[in-house]
Amino acid sequence: MHHSTKMLLVAGLLLFNTVGLLAQQISGRVTDTDNEALIGASILLQGTATGTVTDINGRYELAAAPGDSLVVSYTGYATQTIAVPDEPVLDITLGSGVALNEVVVTSLGISRDRKSLGYAVEEVSGEQLIQQRNTNIVSALQGQAAGVQITQSGGGPGQAARIIIRGINSLDPNANNQPLFVVDGIPISNETITAGGGDFRNVSNRASDINPQDVESISILKGGAATALYGLRAANGAVIITTKKGQAGELKVNFSTTVGTESINKVPETQSTYTQGYLGVYDPNSFWPSWGPSVADARQQDNTHPASIFNNYENGYQRGRQVQTNLSLTGGSERATFLTSLSHVSHSGVLPFSTYQNTNFRLGGEFKASDKFTFGGTVNYINSGGDRVNANRYNESLTYWAPRVDVKDYQFPNGTMKGYRNDGTVGNNPVYGAASNKYIDDVNRYIGNVRFTYAPTDFLRFNYVLGLDNYTDSRLLRAPAPQGLANENVHEDNGDGFVEETRIVARDITSNITGILALPITEDLDFQLLGGFDVFDANYDRVGVRGEELDIYNLFSVNNAAQITSNSFLRQRRLMGLYGDLQLGYRNAVYLSLTGRNDWSSTLPAANRSFFYPSVSASIVFSELLQLPRAFDYGKLRVSYAGIGKDTEPYRLATVYTNPSGFPIDGTTGWARGSSRGSNTLVPERTNTFEVGVEMRAMRNRARLELNYYDATSSDQIIPVPVSLATGYSSFVLNAGSIRNHGVELSLGGTPVKTTDFTWDIGINFTRNYNKVVAITEGVEEIFIGSSFGYAGSTASIFLVEGQPYGNIYGRSYKRYEPTLDGDAPGPKVLNRDAPIVIGPNGFPVVETQQKILGNTQPNWFGALNTTFTYKDLSLRLLVDTRQGVQKYNQLDNFMSAFGIAEYTTNRDQTIVFDGVLADGTPNTKPVFLGQGTGPDGVNYGNGFYRNVYRGVTENFVEDADWVRLRTASLRYQLPQNLFDGKVLDGAALTLTGNNLLLATPFSGFDPESNDTNGNSGDGFGGFTYPAVRSFLLTLDVRL
Amino acid sequence: MKTLYSALIGAVALVALPACDDYLDINDNPNAATEAPINGLMAVSTLNTGLNQFRVSNGFAAYYVQYLASPNQASSVDIYQEVDFSGTWGALYQAMTNAYDMIQLGEERGGQDHVGVGKVITAMNLGLVVDSWGDAPYSEAFTGANITPGYDSAEELYATVQRLLDEAIAAFAAESLVDLDGDSDFIHGGDIDAWVKTAYAMKARYGLHLSETSGYNPAAVLADVDKAYTSNADDAEVTRFEVRNPWAQVARNNDNLLLGGWLSEQFVDALNGTSFGTVDPRLSMLTDTTVSGTYAGTPNGAGRRGDGTMADESYIEEKGPVSGAMAPLTIISYAELKFIEAEAALDANQRERALAAFREGVRASMTKLGVGTAAADSYLAANYGMLTAATLTVDDIFREKYVALFLNPETWVDARRYDYMYKDFTLPQNAATTSFVRRLPYPDSELSRNGRNAPVVSDLTSRLFWDQ
Repeated sequence: MHHSTKMLLVAGLLLFNTVGLLAQQISGRVTDTDNEALIGASILLQGTATGTVTDINGRYELAAAPGDSLVVSYTGYATQTIAVPDEPVLDITLGSGVALNEVVVTSLGISRDRKSLGYAVEEVSGEQLIQQRNTNIVSALQGQAAGVQITQSGGGPGQAARIIIRGINSLDPNANNQPLFVVDGIPISNETITAGGGDFRNVSNRASDINPQDVESISILKGGAATALYGLRAANGAVIITTKKGQAGELKVNFSTTVGTESINKVPETQSTYTQGYLGVYDPNSFWPSWGPSVADARQQDNTHPASIFNNYENGYQRGRQVQTNLSLTGGSERATFLTSLSHVSHSGVLPFSTYQNTNFRLGGEFKASDKFTFGGTVNYINSGGDRVNANRYNESLTYWAPRVDVKDYQFPNGTMKGYRNDGTVGNNPVYGAASNKYIDDVNRYIGNVRFTYAPTDFLRFNYVLGLDNYTDSRLLRAPAPQGLANENVHEDNGDGFVEETRIVARDITSNITGILALPITEDLDFQLLGGFDVFDANYDRVGVRGEELDIYNLFSVNNAAQITSNSFLRQRRLMGLYGDLQLGYRNAVYLSLTGRNDWSSTLPAANRSFFYPSVSASIVFSELLQLPRAFDYGKLRVSYAGIGKDTEPYRLATVYTNPSGFPIDGTTGWARGSSRGSNTLVPERTNTFEVGVEMRAMRNRARLELNYYDATSSDQIIPVPVSLATGYSSFVLNAGSIRNHGVELSLGGTPVKTTDFTWDIGINFTRNYNKVVAITEGVEEIFIGSSFGYAGSTASIFLVEGQPYGNIYGRSYKRYEPTLDGDAPGPKVLNRDAPIVIGPNGFPVVETQQKILGNTQPNWFGALNTTFTYKDLSLRLLVDTRQGVQKYNQLDNFMSAFGIAEYTTNRDQTIVFDGVLADGTPNTKPVFLGQGTGPDGVNYGNGFYRNVYRGVTENFVEDADWVRLRTASLRYQLPQNLFDGKVLDGAALTLTGNNLLLATPFSGFDPESNDTNGNSGDGFGGFTYPAVRSFLLTLDVRL
Repeated sequence: MKTLYSALIGAVALVALPACDDYLDINDNPNAATEAPINGLMAVSTLNTGLNQFRVSNGFAAYYVQYLASPNQASSVDIYQEVDFSGTWGALYQAMTNAYDMIQLGEERGGQDHVGVGKVITAMNLGLVVDSWGDAPYSEAFTGANITPGYDSAEELYATVQRLLDEAIAAFAAESLVDLDGDSDFIHGGDIDAWVKTAYAMKARYGLHLSETSGYNPAAVLADVDKAYTSNADDAEVTRFEVRNPWAQVARNNDNLLLGGWLSEQFVDALNGTSFGTVDPRLSMLTDTTVSGTYAGTPNGAGRRGDGTMADESYIEEKGPVSGAMAPLTIISYAELKFIEAEAALDANQRERALAAFREGVRASMTKLGVGTAAADSYLAANYGMLTAATLTVDDIFREKYVALFLNPETWVDARRYDYMYKDFTLPQNAATTSFVRRLPYPDSELSRNGRNAPVVSDLTSRLFWDQ
């Protein structure tokens, strides 16, 4: 339909409405087949946005002309299109009993009837996905699905987030553990690459390149049976993204723009009493930011000292800003449709100079060549990247910075750094560091696919899809050399200046052909057979060159460097898979599915590279078989089993010799035996998963429940087993060890209130996962996952130990009085917080140097509550989510205690008696001074309690990191439709979104949701992270 | 439409075609080699043998002998708390692993010079392992055949060190069929004669280590000395670095407030006149004065005087003969050899030889550290003017050897043989034990990965077999 015709129609409708000549008021009642009223059923005048919903009695009223068509729909019931009769009364009956012809996207993008599935699938709509206006598609999944744990690595622009489905299932410290991402049938990369100096910087995960506004829906496949057809690459689950497709009809234009502002949502508390100096002595040139006298004392000595000191963690951050713009056009004929979208994100963060931008262009089309043959394709070009600041270093430097001085005043007029000591000539300024020491990435990415469907008969169909995910990633790490001026204060990280260029070219090709044969064998028995073959070919190529000692101080070209080193890395992986799926359905009530897949992987030894694994799943829709109480609409029981095979990383079969870092020296190259011993006898890993679930719907779909129990054990894991360094290696690649995850997922939802004007929807999800390291390998007791530095031996580490769950945090503690405990007995050493602390003869607590378990990084449970209130054109959505029973090492607090910044160090002027017992068990009675130097008792306490004892006790910094937060509140106002009738616009809406509005947590640092890194140990370590933000965004949506 | 179908079928065929094994044969690592060039192995293992002297010293040995002291009060290493040195252990085994592969290749191809170099540096690293930890894996190590290699006893390892050195000397004497690339030899630049001398020097060193055992043979030590170094030019040392000498990096880091390289009060007092009444001219070569114009060390275990940001103490500096950017990193020196000779000669009752060697040792050290002849002479005159063959004692030898071997990990062996009887040497403040440290605990990497083989160590004051 031409646009002008449409305008004419709209104008016509307006005329009808106003004059009421031809249009008439139609009214009636919408019921199910039992004549029960359907409350809130939607009635829409076809081809318009005009419509209404039924009231509590199922009644409706609407202006329509005879010949118009009404589209009547209600969740779980078949939608009907009905011509408006001449009479003014039209009662409508929607098909009941066949509730839930809901279709969900499953493996290979195949849509299936939800009730036939023998496994859990979580669906997230595009609308849910953009609720937070978060540009990272992984972050946007937060709280939307049970069993899916999303972890933000921080609040930086474009910063990576991590997704773990049903627990971590590898003992390999470097395993990705994240699910496969598939966009329109094409697996895409979701790596978080830090190559070339990106550690601790707010780098992105590659899936964040995808524009969430392009997404129609996301299916999350959690268990082995759900992902069986995808094979080994989806062994950690799969996130199946279906993008919006073109729609036939006149040109439709959607435009939206969002402006947002953000600030840190939680700032660590600092003491404001004591200022610069050491041992209580004021010194404006001192390195020590806060071990001096009180501010009042300092002001008596130095009248330039300000009346109050800064909280650097507050003062060092700014207000962040972002603008998102999105334009999409769709249209087409019955034979050909297209959709194109263009989006741009520009975001500057709360940490000065941190930025991210993303430009996204997408074009997709479908062409129906004949009744039997259709083809289509999509190409998505993305340019993304930004200035990624080292938040870890920034926060560390803020800790050293004397809060007497404003850190934001960071440079002299000549552009050199202003420090905090000796009138600015000494001391590293973190803001200057962020301004000068930069890591900038620039990704150019193409994700494209072509699809062909050929259906020679109505029971046979072939699909072919060929996809490409190709990107180049140019990274630049650089810092200026000194300008060479007298008394120039040079930032320690910048040294003599450097430039490091890293170029990554990654290319993944997927080719997949599927044939589907669907036949009803008898009236009662359906049969569907699917078979297919896919090929995956991945190439990754990285070259880096680093130049040190810049000649011209601010020319950031490697040509300008005195010393050049380089490195390169290539990785190739190929997979082939042959798969089949046989499905039987009996009377739309009992379903059975058997799948089998054989994979061939280039990463395994030739003799073992081919492996087969099956799955079986069954679904019984018992509501079809039994007479359930009237309130129940639907009930289903399902059970599945799958054995998933898994390959390994490339190049693990042989021991190799590499050029160690530090070479070449004066033109001499070095070779060293690689630290990992390869094995040419590896066999595929195996994960056996079992899942059982129940789904119920009641009260005419107003209430729903889904409950799953799952159990997955991965065995024969291919891991680099850490070995005695005397072997000549640090690890042997072996089939060793097993890890188990089992747990419960619960989703509840419903519509407690639904009237003509008001609707209240609510959904709750809950996940409890139990993890256990079942075995490592004979003779090896632990696997090191990661550590985070702490002063005076208080470094916190994460180890995997047999019989223990993933993520135990180890470190030093206060020695406890446990006379009956045999400290050398085998088994896990768990800190007994209830036992009294042992106090030494000097009156201070004694430090236990044996590493004990102080906490665990994985939550006991997590969950979310989603709710929407809709009143006429106004809707309010709220998302509250929580994580409980989780601990985290707060490195920032370790430093804050060492430097006298933490709020609790204010008691340094006090003399106390530590609560505890002496080595013989008698109560401690010795008073001690907590401050530095000589106490009131005449004893010299040296560097004081906080430096001598407190900072060296990891226990003090492993904190409960539970939280409950109001993740999102979003208020949307749909402008009244009658404003637009006949105008250029079809509709418009305004949305105000607030993210991270409320946070309740016992954690003392920044928001505990931020992590050190996006890797396996990252969620155990917080502190010097990019802080999380509270944001407010205003969105205008316009339809043309 | 027909062409479209053919295109489709063609495309499908294209992707289905490579479904043969060749398509998957892409798993040879393109970033690395399956066999290493023999000279490349030598480059890495010789360089790291030098760096391992630094790693052992800066990790613990220099603190245990109180060359250095921590700027932090009651720092774990300073006060003999059990500290995990998995990294140092790993670096020593890594150097031996690359030497092992070099020896294997050398033996396969008749590369006798490489075999010899490999065995000498294996002895150097293995010596550091056994002298720090005692029993350790060797006969079941390096091959990759054994995931939990068993331990050889310290006595066996001492025999192994001597055997390796003898085998190296034999290999150097044989004809080599493989060229040894001088640039890849970071210790002797491909000079085989120098390697032979070093092998004998090492034999002498390890012979002397047995001074407190029944296996000690001073005559054999002297025989080895005779075949070893004749001047400072013979020293086994690394002179080429990626950027700079690792001690220079410590000094540079200290300037940047990453504190380290702080001289111990014990060492400074031994040279600034406090302990012996005369100022040693080597002190000014090794460090700078404090802000108050004097030399001041830090007492071990006591930590810094001030806030660590002003030169209230003396530190190693990025200059001079030991911690300069291009200063040599010495493994074993002519000066040390002279003190070995002096001690062995004293034990063999060859007192004249002992005295001559002692004086030559002091002079060699002075020269090596850049002290002029006149200053050396006056130092010798002031301190040892009255000394005769009859009055020379081990105290003199250990006193001078302590200074001459500044920052060399060998001093920790001396200190234990000498029972830490250096003048004014005291336990660190806040010491965790009541007597001096005698050994290391096994590293965490061994306890957690090879726990059933690692011997139980009661505490850090328990002694190794040669330390009686």
